[in-house]
Parts: sequence; structure tokens; C-alpha cells
Amino acid sequence: MKVMRSPKAERAGHPYVFHLSRREREVLLATLKLYPQLDIRHHQLSRDPKARGAADQQWLEEAMAQEQEEHRKRLGEFFNNGRRFFKGEEGDLVLTLTGEQMEWLLRVLNEIRVGSWVRLGRPELEEARRLRLAAAQARLFTAMELSGYFEAALLEAFS
Amino acid sequence: MGFVGRWSGGFWGLARGGGNRYNGGMAEIAAPVAPLVTEKKEKTDPKEMRDRGYVVICWNDPVNLMDYVTHVFQMVFGWPRAKARRHMLQVHETGKSLLARETFEKAEHYVHQLQGYGLTATLEREA
Repeated sequence: MKVMRSPKAERAGHPYVFHLSRREREVLLATLKLYPQLDIRHHQLSRDPKARGAADQQWLEEAMAQEQEEHRKRLGEFFNNGRRFFKGEEGDLVLTLTGEQMEWLLRVLNEIRVGSWVRLGRPELEEARRLRLAAAQARLFTAMELSGYFEAALLEAFS
Repeated sequence: MGFVGRWSGGFWGLARGGGNRYNGGMAEIAAPVAPLVTEKKEKTDPKEMRDRGYVVICWNDPVNLMDYVTHVFQMVFGWPRAKARRHMLQVHETGKSLLARETFEKAEHYVHQLQGYGLTATLEREA
């Protein structure tokens, strides 16, 4: 997946254009289907129990749950309107995104990456790469790596 | 933080012709934590200064990508890229960075924003 410049798309309000293969699209969609990965209780307002009240912690968890639900709904739209995002005939596809859609996609991919890592037991990554992983762990590790791959492609467009 | 350098090769043949900058890199183990220091003093009224008893801290982890963290700091705090990158590197090299000194409500808002992006951020009462 590679970013490309497209003045025409920029004029149309979609400044971010990516070239990707059909296989990349399949993998991107399969990765996004793993959302959400993070348990809401993962979110801690403070490391110091004195600095947070139960109500404040509960507020944070509710806010994150609401955000997660919004992302989930939006992902449904993304899957149902694939043609709006992915265009192309033979061979490669073009994915066009607005700045706001880019932000959203980055956040969702990063949630999958971080959530997979948390489920793996928060390993140091080099160490995890050397381990012989059981099938379930291997799936999480793959999800983490793939979401990182797509995140990096999106981030390249910002630089 | 994650913290990544360059993509070192295709993943299952996904990338065509080179690919991007992801190499799935990892952070080094956090070094002893540096003392909390604010970036610069801002002009505020004395009451607001008294109320600013909370600090927003971003903690190191091996999973968030370096460019991603820089981008998030830019988005959440409106910082220029150089400042955002400086804080990202501080997290990477020292284990954490103090991002803001605020009232509880504002610090809580920032923590919500940062955690919404998947960063490990908390608010702490200033000693």
C-alpha cells in the first residue's frame, strides 16, 4: 500500500490517495474486522489511586465504550460501502480518504494493534518474534503486525 | 513507545515495490525516569496556576509506532511536529514525558483524548 499524489482527488476533498493490491485490500478488511480488541477496563485514568475517584474512572470507561461503539458502527458503513472507498478495475485498487477518514482509520488500526499486544500479554516485540507461538497467539501477533503495516502506510501520507 | 524505524521488507508479499516504513520495531527498555519538567512557562492568572495541580503523562510501551505517537501529540495538543517529536523521543528514551500541567478537568480531557488514540497516558497529582 503506497501513498500517491492526486491533485484531482485533492480538489475533490480527498487529499489522501493510496495504491493497493486486491490482496492488500482483503487483508486490510480482514484486519479491520478484528476491531475491537481492547477491553474497556484497560483504560486507566491514573496510576495513583488517590488521583482518581471511582466516578472519574467510570466516566472514562463510559466515554471509551461510547467511542468504541461509534467506531464499530462506522466500520460497518466502511464494509458496506466498499465501492465508495476502493476504486479500480483490473489489477490494483485506489483507496481515497479525507483527512478525517484517515484519522479514524489510524485510530481503529492502532486499537487493533495495541489490543492484540495487550491480549498477547504485553510482550517485548523482538522477544515475541522469536517465540514459537500457539495458533491463537499467532493470530494476535499477525493482527498486531498487519495493523502496524497499514498504520505506517497511512502515516507516510502525513509526512 | 513503539517505535519503529523503517519497514524492512514485505509482509507475506503484501507490499508491492518497496512498501512503507514499518518494520515492527520495538522500543528499548525504559531507562530510569527523568524528573518531570515542563516545556515552557505559560502566562496564566494566579488562580488558574493554583488549580493546575495535575500533570498529564505519556508512558513508554513497545507497541505504538514512533511516527504515530508524534502524530497524536500534534493532533491532541496542536503542537508543531518538532515539539511533538521531542516529547515522543523523551517517552522513548526516558520512559515517560510530561505533556501538560493542568486542572483536573483539562487533564482528564487530555487523557481521554490520548487513550482514545491508544497511547498509554494518565493524569497524576503533582507532588
